Amino acid sequence: MFAFILRRTIQSVIVLFVMSLLVFCMINLVGDPVDMLVNPESLPDEIERVRRDFGLDQPVYSQYWHFLKGALSGDLGKSYVFGRPALALMAERFPATLELAFCALIIAVTIGLPLGIYAGLRPDGFATRIMMGMSVLGISIPTFWLGLMMIILFSVILGWLPVSGRGDIGVFLGIESSIFTMDGLRHLIMPATNLALFKIAMVMRLARAGTSEVMAQDFIRFARAQGLPRKRIIKSHLLPNILIPIVTVIGIEFGTLIAFATVTESIFSWPGLGKLVIDAIINLDRPVVVAYLLFVVALFLTLNLIVDIIYAALDPRVRLQGDDT
Amino acid sequence: MNAKDTRAAVSSPLAALSKCANALWSRPSVSISGLFVLLIAALAVLAPLVAPTNPYDLATVSILDGRLPPGQKMLDGTVALLGTDGAGRDVLSAILWGLRTSLIVAISSATIALTVGLTVGLAAAFYGGRLDAFLMRIVDIQLSFPAILVALVLLALLGKGIDKVIIALAIVQWAVYARTIRAAAMVERRKEYFEAATCLELSNGRIIWKHLLPNSVSSLIVLATLQTAHSITIEATLSFLGVGVPITEPSLGSLISNGFDFILSGAYWITFFPGIMLLATVAAINIFGDQLRTIINPRLSR
Repeated sequence: MFAFILRRTIQSVIVLFVMSLLVFCMINLVGDPVDMLVNPESLPDEIERVRRDFGLDQPVYSQYWHFLKGALSGDLGKSYVFGRPALALMAERFPATLELAFCALIIAVTIGLPLGIYAGLRPDGFATRIMMGMSVLGISIPTFWLGLMMIILFSVILGWLPVSGRGDIGVFLGIESSIFTMDGLRHLIMPATNLALFKIAMVMRLARAGTSEVMAQDFIRFARAQGLPRKRIIKSHLLPNILIPIVTVIGIEFGTLIAFATVTESIFSWPGLGKLVIDAIINLDRPVVVAYLLFVVALFLTLNLIVDIIYAALDPRVRLQGDDT
Repeated sequence: MNAKDTRAAVSSPLAALSKCANALWSRPSVSISGLFVLLIAALAVLAPLVAPTNPYDLATVSILDGRLPPGQKMLDGTVALLGTDGAGRDVLSAILWGLRTSLIVAISSATIALTVGLTVGLAAAFYGGRLDAFLMRIVDIQLSFPAILVALVLLALLGKGIDKVIIALAIVQWAVYARTIRAAAMVERRKEYFEAATCLELSNGRIIWKHLLPNSVSSLIVLATLQTAHSITIEATLSFLGVGVPITEPSLGSLISNGFDFILSGAYWITFFPGIMLLATVAAINIFGDQLRTIINPRLSR
């Protein structure tokens, strides 16, 4: 088991290293960031000075070596646009993204779980058929467009919700979040729902599959034979059994939520990581783009590693299979 | 094993195709969704002929026509059925031209991805061993990241432009095809006709192209349909974010993004109608793919 974890960790570190090399070298082929750094009317020797100051006159391999040395000591370079360390910028923006993703998960579960259980209990019900028919439409709707439609409906036509930003931030138990103020919640509800939309269908499918599987089991039949009320069976026999796989999948999917947040944050001007990186890509702010990519790669590798370790712990066959590759 | 068996095995995809064709006509839902997909494709191909105006001919577009609501008459007398955008372009015409760009990007990227995926998947299945392990590890790593993120990264690295978007989407999709065709080819490898072909000492290339490929490829038909729908959405999302196709050749996504600036002033039609077209296109392809799946693999139908 230890060897398995060690090998996977080493593999992850290699992937991270290769990614950093690829990203760093390729990004140096696009555009000239010096154009973004200096005033367009500056003199040529001024431009040369800036180029030297940022080390952009060096060949790519020596720039990469410099970057790698910095990265190992926790310095991923300074943003060209903000003039501050990229890592500090990201740490500043991350809580907003985390908050958005977390609320989206809660919304996805509160809507998806009851619908999925209903569909599992009544596979041939009228409402189930409508839901399944809608789900094809659901996967076809571009979420970003739906976000715009939500703005048109709730902000422009009805005037209920604010269009953009994060709103007031409250502090509770030392955690700063918009959840703790009324204004913050009003700002949060639309982006969180938008981000939740494509996860609702997933939770629904999982809950439906789980329910139809568990309901056919003997212990449910015995509970029924005992004359337990339906509500009780669902609450204390069905729910605990279907929740375990759902929680696992949601854990894995948390990374995708953070990736998809880039789109939602751009629509609602949510001041999170995704908005930061989209602006950085458009402004050729290389250090921020590289730092964001490495962060996301590391996040996904860690999530996958954790999942693989749990699987290997539960199922020895996975471990043995891994040994001969 | 004799040659007759081998031939029978090879002709099976043809038989499957004709079975498909029969089923297409016996199931109206398939033909209806298929016809709808064809109609959308025809609209895209014929955009220059069917569109009321040419939205990119600067001589005919007038800024004075800007932001006309649907149904209003433009200066030159044409009725803007779906209104006009901020620059005075007819939204309906812009949608038809945008659909063209969206489909060109989706179809070319799917073709490239399919070719690369097929080659990699077949090579992995046929040669096995270290090559297989190596290629599949790359596929695993790539598929552990969400498609939209990979595409975003690639475009950040490659820069803007239709060709760049096509390359990015091809790189995003090849892994799915590679994994699917490999799985199908691994099953075929264990069948007797394959053994027979190997015993006849046919060349590797001939075994792969004449035997392995035709017998494994049917598994990709549905996948390619659904993937195309998926890549249309990804392209639209990227263009909406401003990292996709350039504004000079807008796709449906860039049109929606263009309308984003006007929704607060109430000019909803500039975003609304391109979105409806996008939704209709993706939904039509998805439903068609879903129906195809029930024909090819009847066990999966509910």
